[in-house]
Amino acid sequence: MISIQSVAKTFGDVQSLDKVTARIGEGSIFGLIGSNGSGKSTLLRVMAGILRPDTGEVKYDGIPVWDRPDVKKRIFYISDDQFFLPGSDILENARFLSSLYPNYDVEEALRLARAFNLPEKRKIQSFSKGMQKQTAILLGLAAKPDWLFCDETFDGLDPVMREIVKKLFAREVAERKMTAVIASHSLRELEDICDHIGLLHKGGILFESDIDELKSQLHTVQAGFEKLPERIRCDGLHFVRITGRGNFITAVVGGEEEAVRAYFSSLSPLYFELIPLTLEEIFIAEMEARGYDSGSFLE
Amino acid sequence: MSNIRIDVKSRTPIFEQLCAGIREEILSGAMAPGEALPSVRALACELAINPNTIQKAYAELERQKLISSAPGRGSFVSDDIRPAMGAFEEKILADLRAAVHRARLCSIAKEKLTELIDKEWEGTKP
Repeated sequence: MISIQSVAKTFGDVQSLDKVTARIGEGSIFGLIGSNGSGKSTLLRVMAGILRPDTGEVKYDGIPVWDRPDVKKRIFYISDDQFFLPGSDILENARFLSSLYPNYDVEEALRLARAFNLPEKRKIQSFSKGMQKQTAILLGLAAKPDWLFCDETFDGLDPVMREIVKKLFAREVAERKMTAVIASHSLRELEDICDHIGLLHKGGILFESDIDELKSQLHTVQAGFEKLPERIRCDGLHFVRITGRGNFITAVVGGEEEAVRAYFSSLSPLYFELIPLTLEEIFIAEMEARGYDSGSFLE
Repeated sequence: MSNIRIDVKSRTPIFEQLCAGIREEILSGAMAPGEALPSVRALACELAINPNTIQKAYAELERQKLISSAPGRGSFVSDDIRPAMGAFEEKILADLRAAVHRARLCSIAKEKLTELIDKEWEGTKP
């Protein structure tokens, strides 16, 4: 369990993190989403124990991470500008990391390099950007960390590599209860791998939720009527937005699917369809419900 | 279990796709009563999806009494799935009602529908 307790961090007169509080359960794959400059990287660095927060703290199973090498040995952080030893190849990096991480598996790093089709004897600096990302991921996984942090690491991987990386993450989570925190500015990169999502905006967590719960609680409804009902409202259902044209309406409705179906069925529509929302649509709806202009959050 | 297909681009949540896929396998008899389901780990690696999602889907199927879990041994198709089947009747009939409704809006003749039902009914006899 990672617990982030009212963490604040200021650089000069810029408030990068403003009392961020969140809990990330063991074995979770947590997606940290936010626009550029929302504080994602700063939060990851504080979580990795690289930056000291001005106030608040980050605890791992109850132990604060700051100045605790024993905790940090169980954390692997892949920054968005990955670091490799100058002029080195994959094997040299793996050997170096194995001097820092007690569980480091150099053989595993080489196995993964072959799975990714990466030449293990070529200098990493000569790799393409995408290959360097893959290298950073495999070097991190081979450390067998309890907590793995990825800063925009998934963005820009090609579909085949994404599939391999997803399988590797799934394996580590299932076998060792690894916890992963993946920061990204793109919801689409996170939708199919994460079980929890947290949205960071202007240094604060706007909301945090289980993805399946989010998805099961919000629906798009399309319904056509012979005569439009005068009033579409129901206790227990939350109508986020209703737009209509003629006798046809489209609504975003919050509530249990069964309750939504039952309510609309009671209005005897000529046509009715319930469509699950994409994560992106859910975010836009949630943002609007919180009074934010969604346009500025998502590209 | 490789018959289960997950479409990550689909709007339907992966969790629901999983439940539906496994349910289909069980109700169609492709997975026999008592048969072991793949482990969470194996299925997560095979389908490249989050193990927590699979865990949740198994819990949901267990709640529906389609499968049962023995601690340390894994999950198995329930010996008797008939009680679980009843729960789907309502849903299936609702889907059918909606389909009939739509067919009528598109002026499809009633005879055509009944003919289709008769044909499908005979065609899917075990």
